[in-house]
Amino acid sequence: MTVLADVAARPRGSTGRKIGLGLLLVFLVVLPLGTNIEGQTWVTNARLFQFTQMFMLITLASNWNLTGGFTGYVDFGHAVFFGLGAYGTGILMTQQHGIQWPFWAAVLGGAVVAAIFAVLVGFPTLRLKGPYFSIAMLGTFVAMREIIRVTKPVTGGGVGLTLPPYLNRALFYYLTFGLAVLVVSVMWWIRRSEFGSSLIAIREDEVGAEMRGIDTTLHKITAFAIAGFLSGIVGGMWAYQNTFIDPDVVFIESRTVELVMMTMLGGLGTVAGPVVGAATIYWLRDVVWAAFFDWHLIVEGALLIGIVLFVPTGIVGMLGDRSGTSLQRLWGRWLGSRDRPGAGPDPPRAAPPQPQGPQGDAGDEP
Amino acid sequence: MDQFLQAVINGIMLGGFYAAMMLGFSVIWGVMGVINLAHGEFIMVGAYATWVLNKEFGWEPFYALAVVLPLMFVVGYIIQLVLINRIVDQPHLVSLLVTFGLAIIIANAMKLAYSADPRLTETGFAGAWELGNVTVPVTKTVILGVALVIMGSLWAFLHRTKTGKSIRAAAQNKQAARIVGIDIKKIYALTFGICIAITGAAGTLISPTQAVFPFMGPPLTLRAFAITALAGLGSIPGALMGGMVLGLVESLIGIYVSGIGTNLAIVSAFVLLVVVLVTRPQGLFGGLRPMEEAQPL
Amino acid sequence: MKQRWFNAFALMVVLTLVAAACGDDSDAGTEGQETTAAPATTAAPATTAAPATTAAGTTAAPAIAGTIRIGAAVSETGKYAREGKDTRQGYNLWADWVNEEYGGVNIGGDRYEVEIVMYDDEGDPDTAANLVEKLITEDQVDFLLGPYSSGLTMSTSAIAEKYGVVMVEGNGASETIFERGFKNIFAVLTPAGNYTQSALKLLSDQGAKTVVVAYEDTAFPTSVANGALKWAEEYGMEVLGVETYPKDVADVSAIMTKFRDMEPDVFVGGGHFNDALLFVRAAKELNFTPDAMVITVGPSNPKFVEEVGTDANYILGPTQWEGTMSWEDNWFGTAEDYYNRYSDKWGEAPTYQAAESTATALALMAAIEQAGTLDMDAVRQALFDLDIMTFYGPINFDDTGKNAAKPMGAIQIQDGVINVVAPVEAAVTDLQFPMAPWTAR
Repeated sequence: MTVLADVAARPRGSTGRKIGLGLLLVFLVVLPLGTNIEGQTWVTNARLFQFTQMFMLITLASNWNLTGGFTGYVDFGHAVFFGLGAYGTGILMTQQHGIQWPFWAAVLGGAVVAAIFAVLVGFPTLRLKGPYFSIAMLGTFVAMREIIRVTKPVTGGGVGLTLPPYLNRALFYYLTFGLAVLVVSVMWWIRRSEFGSSLIAIREDEVGAEMRGIDTTLHKITAFAIAGFLSGIVGGMWAYQNTFIDPDVVFIESRTVELVMMTMLGGLGTVAGPVVGAATIYWLRDVVWAAFFDWHLIVEGALLIGIVLFVPTGIVGMLGDRSGTSLQRLWGRWLGSRDRPGAGPDPPRAAPPQPQGPQGDAGDEP
Repeated sequence: MDQFLQAVINGIMLGGFYAAMMLGFSVIWGVMGVINLAHGEFIMVGAYATWVLNKEFGWEPFYALAVVLPLMFVVGYIIQLVLINRIVDQPHLVSLLVTFGLAIIIANAMKLAYSADPRLTETGFAGAWELGNVTVPVTKTVILGVALVIMGSLWAFLHRTKTGKSIRAAAQNKQAARIVGIDIKKIYALTFGICIAITGAAGTLISPTQAVFPFMGPPLTLRAFAITALAGLGSIPGALMGGMVLGLVESLIGIYVSGIGTNLAIVSAFVLLVVVLVTRPQGLFGGLRPMEEAQPL
Repeated sequence: MKQRWFNAFALMVVLTLVAAACGDDSDAGTEGQETTAAPATTAAPATTAAPATTAAGTTAAPAIAGTIRIGAAVSETGKYAREGKDTRQGYNLWADWVNEEYGGVNIGGDRYEVEIVMYDDEGDPDTAANLVEKLITEDQVDFLLGPYSSGLTMSTSAIAEKYGVVMVEGNGASETIFERGFKNIFAVLTPAGNYTQSALKLLSDQGAKTVVVAYEDTAFPTSVANGALKWAEEYGMEVLGVETYPKDVADVSAIMTKFRDMEPDVFVGGGHFNDALLFVRAAKELNFTPDAMVITVGPSNPKFVEEVGTDANYILGPTQWEGTMSWEDNWFGTAEDYYNRYSDKWGEAPTYQAAESTATALALMAAIEQAGTLDMDAVRQALFDLDIMTFYGPINFDDTGKNAAKPMGAIQIQDGVINVVAPVEAAVTDLQFPMAPWTAR
C-alpha cells in the first residue's frame, strides 16, 4: 500500500521510484503463480478474486476521473456505463437470441453499446453545468435501471440473465490487471497529450477554452465516450465472472458513490489518484467491515464527510503532485467568471507547502 | 371516464404530498445554495418519530405533527450549526458529497435503531367516500389538506413576517442583506431548521399510506430534485404546480399503460427531470430566484 | 490556512497507517470474524458431548472419529441481516444438537462431530462468491450450506459447481437457480413456482373463478407470479390482469384502481414485506374488495398483523412452514417440538427461514449417513436418492435439485391469528371466505 502511495506520489520519477513501480508490477504479474505453491494459504483463488475486484475499481475510478477530474464534469451516474457493458455482454453471450458470441467479442460489443450511449446522453447533458449535470446523470442512471427492467424480452427483466459459468480466477485476474494497467497508461498519456490539456482547459475555464478555439463539445463528448467504453468493458468482465446479472445487482447507486469517494481520497484530476484511492479504500474496507460489523456503513459515511472536509486535495495532492485539482479549485474556477463577491475558498495556488515547487496548471510540465 | 377521474384524483393526492415533501429541499437550495441529498432521510426520520408516537403512545399520526415539527426543527438547527455551516460557502460538489455521507449515516443509524422492517401508522381518518364510481380516500384527503396548510403557512411566513423577509433577502443577495444588518449565520440556521421541520412533517403525512423503512429516502430525494427542476428554486406556487404535474403524470401512466405502468411511472419522473434540466434550466415556474443564478451564493 | 493543512495532514497520517497495516490485517480481520462465529460450533468437543449422550440413556457414549467441516456464507450485516440471523440460528441449532445430543453424525458406525465455518457475506453477491471460494480453497470445508436469498444463492452455487462441492440450501426459492443444469445444488424448500398452489387450489374449490396478479419484477416474485398464472390456469380460473412494479415501490394506487374495475374474485400479489403493507392500505383506500387476497410475502410474518391491525384479517399467504403443521420426524420430533426447542435456545419464535435452515442441514446429514462415507460423489448421489420425512415436511430432490415432494402451506389471518388453512394434511382451521368488506372488520 505504502509502495503504491509512494509511487503514485510523484509525477515523474527518480530511478528508485521507477524500480519500486517495476517491482510492484512484477509482483502483481507473478502473484497468481503462488496458487501452485503447496502449503501456503495466502495466495488462493479467493485472494486473486479480491485483487480482481480491486483492479476493476481502479479502472472504474480512473474512467470516472477522466470526466470528473480532468474535464470537471462530476458524473453521479457513471455506473450506467458499467451496467450497459454488463448487459450488452450478458445479452450477446446468452443463447436466447439464437446467437452466442464468444466472451471477448461480447465484451467489446457491450463496451461499444456503453460508448454509443455515452455519446447520445452526453450530447444534451454535457451542456449542463455543475450540479445539474451531476443530477441529470443520476436521473439517467435510475431511469436506465427501470428501462432494463421493463424491456423483458431482451434483458430478462427483473429475473435477469444467467451467463455460462466460467470461473477461472487467474484468467480474470490477468484480464482485469491488464485492463487496469492499460487504462492507467491511457490516462497518463491523455494527461500529457494535447487532448488532455484541452480537457483541463475546459475544466479551468470553459468559456475561455472555447474562445481559444477548442471545440469543447467534441472534447467533452470524446472524453465521456472513452470513459463509457472502458467502464463498459469492466461491466462486461464483471458480468461474466459473476455468472448472473439482474438490474439490482448491476445498477447499484453505491457503485458510483464509491468511485467518487475513491477518486477524491486519492486525488481528483491526477493519474495516480484513482489508483491510490481505489486500492486504499478497497483494503481499508476489509478492515472496516471486520471491525465494525453493523456500523461499517456509518463509518463509511463519516469517512466520506471527513475526506471532503479535511483532505480536499486527496492523498496524491498532499504528497506533492500539484497537477491535480482540489474541489475548491475545480468549482472556484468555474464560478470565477461570475460575480461572486466574498464567496471565497482560499486561492488555491497559494495553498500548500510542497516539496517540488509549483508546476503548470495544465500539467504540461517540462 | 370514471377511471380517468379516479386517476386524476389519485394524481392530485399524490401531487399534494410531493409538493409538501419537496419544499424544504427547494428552499434550502434556494436560500443557502446547499443541495441536501439527505432530504429523503429527514422525511424518514419524521416518519419514524410519528410511528413511535403512534405505536408506543397511541397518538393519532396527524396530531403527532405537534411534536414532529418542533423536534425536527431542533434537529435541523443543530445539524446546520455542526455540519452544514461548514459547507455553505463551498462549491456544490462539497455539499452534495457531505450531505450524501450524512444520508448514509442517518439511514444506517435508523436501521440499527429500528431494524429494516417496514412500518405503518394507524390513523383514525380512514375509509373512503364514494362519488358514483369514483372513490376519494379519506386519509389522502387529509394529507392533501395538511400539505396545503403547510405550504400556505410557509408562504405567509416568507412574505408577511420580518424574519421571512430577511430570509428572502439573504437568498437574493447575501452581501446586501449583510449590509442592512441581517445576521446571515442565524438566518441560515433558522432556514435549515424550518425546512427540516417541514420535511419531517412530510414524513408524518406519508406514514399512514406508505411503508416506512430506513432506506425509503433516496427515491424521495430524487423526486424532490425532479420537482425542483420543474418548479424553480424555493417557489411555493411552483412547488405546488410541479408536484401536481409529477403526481398526475405518474398516476395517469400508471393507470393507462397496461402491465408495466407502475414501472414506467417511476421512469417518467427521471425522464422529466433530464428533459427539463436540458431544455429549461431555470425551471418552468420561476422561483425565489432563477436557477442559473443559484450557483454562486 | 495552516490549521487546515495540519488537520489534513493528521488525517492523512492516520489513513496511511491504517492502509499500511491493512495489507497484513485483512487476513487477521477475517480470521477474527471466523472466531466470532466459531464458539457456537467449535465449543462442542467430546466433553460436552458426553453428558448429552448419557442423558440419551441406553446407547454407550460413542467415540468421536473425526470432524465434518461445513462452510456457509450467511448475511450478518447488509440488507438480509434479519433473515441471515434466522438462517444462522437455524444452522447452529442443528450443529449443537448433533454434537451435544445426537452424539455425532453416524458414518458407517463411526461418529463424527460437525463444525460450521461461517462468514458474513454482507448481502453482496461479490462478497458471497468470494467467501464461498475461500471456504472451499482455504478452509477446505467438506460441504456447503446455502446463503440467504435467491440472488446470493445464484452467485455462490456457481462457485460450488466449479469445485464440485455439494451445497444444500434452504433460502433460495427462485426457479432460475435450478435451470442452469448444476449438479451440486439442492434446495429443501418448495420452489417459488409452487408458492401459491395450495391457496389457489383451495380458493378454486370455494368457487373463485377470476384472478388478477401484481408482482415486483425481481427474480423471486416473478417466479412466484409465473407459478400463480400456471396454477390458476390449471384450476380453471381466468386471469383478468397482470401488473408489475419495481422494487421499493411507494405507491400502488394505480394498480389497485385498475384491478378494482376488473372486479376479480382473487387478488394475488406481492414481492416484499413493504408491498404487502401497501396493497392492504391501497385496497382499503380505494375500496377494492375481492373475495380473497393472497399476498406472497408478509402475512405469515407476525409483524404483518402488528402493522396493519384488523385490516390483516381474511388475508391469505403462502408459508414454507409453521410451528402448528403436522409434520414429524425421528430427529427433532414434531414441528411443535422444533418450535419449542428453538424458542428455548434462542429466546424467540422460529421463522420459517430458521426452520428451513435447520432442515437444510438435516437433509445433508441424512444423506451423509445414507452414503456412509464423506466421499463427495457418494453424498451427492445419496442426496439425489434421498426420500425422508422431517419436522419441516417431506424432502425428496428431483434431477435439478429442487424438493419436489413438499407442498407449500397456506395461512389465513383470522381475528389476528395466523392459521394454516392448506394443504388439508397440515391445516388447522377452515378458510374464511369470502373476504368481509373493509368497513366491517
